Amino acid sequence: MSRVITVLMDLSEQDASFRYTVDALDHAVAAASSDVVVRIVRTDEIDVLGDGVVIGPGSPYRDAAAAEDVIRTAREKGLPLVGT
Amino acid sequence: MLVEHARNVMGIEAASHAEYGGPGVPVVSLLSCSLVESEIEISITPGTRLAQIHPGESRRIERTHCNYGLAPDFAYIASGGGMRISAVDDTSEVRAVERSEHTFFFGALYQPQRTSSRDHPHPVWTSFVRAVQG
Repeated sequence: MSRVITVLMDLSEQDASFRYTVDALDHAVAAASSDVVVRIVRTDEIDVLGDGVVIGPGSPYRDAAAAEDVIRTAREKGLPLVGT
Repeated sequence: MLVEHARNVMGIEAASHAEYGGPGVPVVSLLSCSLVESEIEISITPGTRLAQIHPGESRRIERTHCNYGLAPDFAYIASGGGMRISAVDDTSEVRAVERSEHTFFFGALYQPQRTSSRDHPHPVWTSFVRAVQG
């Protein structure tokens, strides 16, 4: 089963930071010849975290407490995380 | 990341982010100089994961798009509780942090995605994807 990266991001798809983030992950997945799946999730719609987390640009977040909970979980459980 | 670290690791229970307003201790505050659509030169801390990600590079140019950063009075939290400074800018302000004992836990006050391309993926993102793959 493919591993999953969850990107927390509330920006619209038209926002430049949204596009840069999605594209950079696509570049990295292609470079690694990986089948990692990237999914974008709004902070007020977080469900499962998957195998790695990106705290995307675009604060203030719709649900800052939920984003902070995700960061804590990643820290405590050793999930790879990048925040930008 | 910095607010979570301040609250749950460094014991600053009232830690807050100035962008959200309200009560609390803003460990993340408005930058004195906006870094929206800017470039900064970072100095990478030797021995860190970021140094491993950028072998042979002690300094590099990165692009930014933010108005907030670690408040000067709380700069010390970036070097405590398992967190360490990965990079600073030319004013010695913290621009990237990581957790030393974690598989991959990295935060930047710049956007490495802004200098990535299909021909030259940014090493932070390729390293992250490899960490996710395990």
